[in-house]
Amino acid sequence: MSAEQADWLVSAELAPDAADPRLAPFYAAAARGALELPRCAGCGLALELEQRVCDGCGGCEVRWAEAERAGIVHASTSVHRREAALIRTDAPYPVLDVELSSGHRLVMTTVERSDRDVEIGTPVQIGFRSIGGVTVPAAFLPEAPPPTLEVHQ
Amino acid sequence: MSAAGAIVGLGMTPMATRPIADDTVSLACRALTAALDDAGLARADVDGLLVNSSQGIRPDRLGVALGRQAGLGTLRLLEHLEIKGATAVAMIQRAILSIRAGLATTVACVFSDAPVAGSGAGSSYAHSGGVAGVRGLERASGVLGSVPTYALLASRYFAVRGGGPKDLCAVAVAARAWAMGNPDAVVRKPLDEAGYFASRMISTPLRLLDCARPVNGSVAVIVSAHPAPSNAPSLRVRGMGAVHPVRRRRGPGESWFGGGRQAVDDALAAAGIGRDEIDVLELYDPFSVVTLCLLEEYGFCEPGSVGEFVRSGAIAPGGDLPTNTGGGQLSGFYLQGMTPLAEAIIQLRGGGADRQVAGADTALVTGIGGRIDHHACLVLQRDGSS
Repeated sequence: MSAEQADWLVSAELAPDAADPRLAPFYAAAARGALELPRCAGCGLALELEQRVCDGCGGCEVRWAEAERAGIVHASTSVHRREAALIRTDAPYPVLDVELSSGHRLVMTTVERSDRDVEIGTPVQIGFRSIGGVTVPAAFLPEAPPPTLEVHQ
Repeated sequence: MSAAGAIVGLGMTPMATRPIADDTVSLACRALTAALDDAGLARADVDGLLVNSSQGIRPDRLGVALGRQAGLGTLRLLEHLEIKGATAVAMIQRAILSIRAGLATTVACVFSDAPVAGSGAGSSYAHSGGVAGVRGLERASGVLGSVPTYALLASRYFAVRGGGPKDLCAVAVAARAWAMGNPDAVVRKPLDEAGYFASRMISTPLRLLDCARPVNGSVAVIVSAHPAPSNAPSLRVRGMGAVHPVRRRRGPGESWFGGGRQAVDDALAAAGIGRDEIDVLELYDPFSVVTLCLLEEYGFCEPGSVGEFVRSGAIAPGGDLPTNTGGGQLSGFYLQGMTPLAEAIIQLRGGGADRQVAGADTALVTGIGGRIDHHACLVLQRDGSS
């Protein structure tokens, strides 16, 4: 951890509380490179990160299950306002609401520095960023599309 | 008069857009004093106090200690309510129900906030929210303050329902046109489409002029079983409603909008009136996109037609549905649910001066909280009107 590289987007002050019992399994999995998300242990329904009781079957046991690291962009913004003490990049940055193939929706930015406007529906792969030693999911965008070419038939 | 309860007093501080010496408690005391003066009541007449504080961890946030701090005596009703931005409207509902149940006679409802500090309100909001829970995870992803969240909502809303920046512009321009007639509005410079599109981008598609104008200030409202000794007009609460829709953060449903209509349907049904009998509509509008969502969600225009509706001028001065007639939170001032509530009171009393809507007897006031997760609304009517 001594040679911890700074995150491209936010200062270490914004490192999440990985010990927060609500999300501790999530951060523990992320630290080993796995995306684990909560499901109902009874019926398997995808639950929200802070949800304790299944709204489908009423089951009270939450199972943190590894999810496929893929999804599509459900909502998207490019943030232009940059709070000086907290944001490290000098260009607009993406914030994406990603619908994972597991069904869960998760807000994240990109793994690498980007100032692209990302369209809803864009497929993404999920990787990770590290902020002050805490690992969080982030999106790998597909290669930027090539410039539009004339189509000759 | 009615043991039904009515709004009989309104007190407002000046709305400060720069840091001031007063903390939230001092501001609340000033607004409360002004509201009692407006109604012609003394502190000893108050037997109920409801308090609405801003979210967050401000050391000076209001609490039930306000009763002592504001020099009130022994109370029968004293509560700190918390359903985020819907709280101001919920306080009026709570006051009315308490009066009708005989648990209080004269209830003061108070909100104050002071987010504008040395580095500006945007900076205050960017630094608040903490690092725990889902909010901590989102902040680590660059979701600072509430603009990026509502920008995500806007992107999704436009993708699903159609529309775009010109609709946001129409809302912002209408709000400014109303603010021009409101001496309490913090922005009163004329605004046209070019001016809107020249304003700086905050988080696509939301520009600076799509965002609320935070102030340091306070509003207090007095609800009583008795008419105001000052002869201030009594405003009856004809209908009330609330709904707290759960939109799950998973596919395939919508996570970002929808589900608020029941609150309005219930309030109108209780009042026995239709949407066409609403003279002024006062919405909680922290971002222009919220006005679009709510107009459609609350059933004031056909689904999918809200862009056309606002671009036609329907919500602007002279339009068929005068909406956010003091400039709302976009150009008036952002004091959470007190913004729409105070404006409805002013309009129904006929005190709107240059922005007064002629013949405004009936208002619908709505508050929202969270990410449009909580809705509360009131149908208010001037006493003596039918």
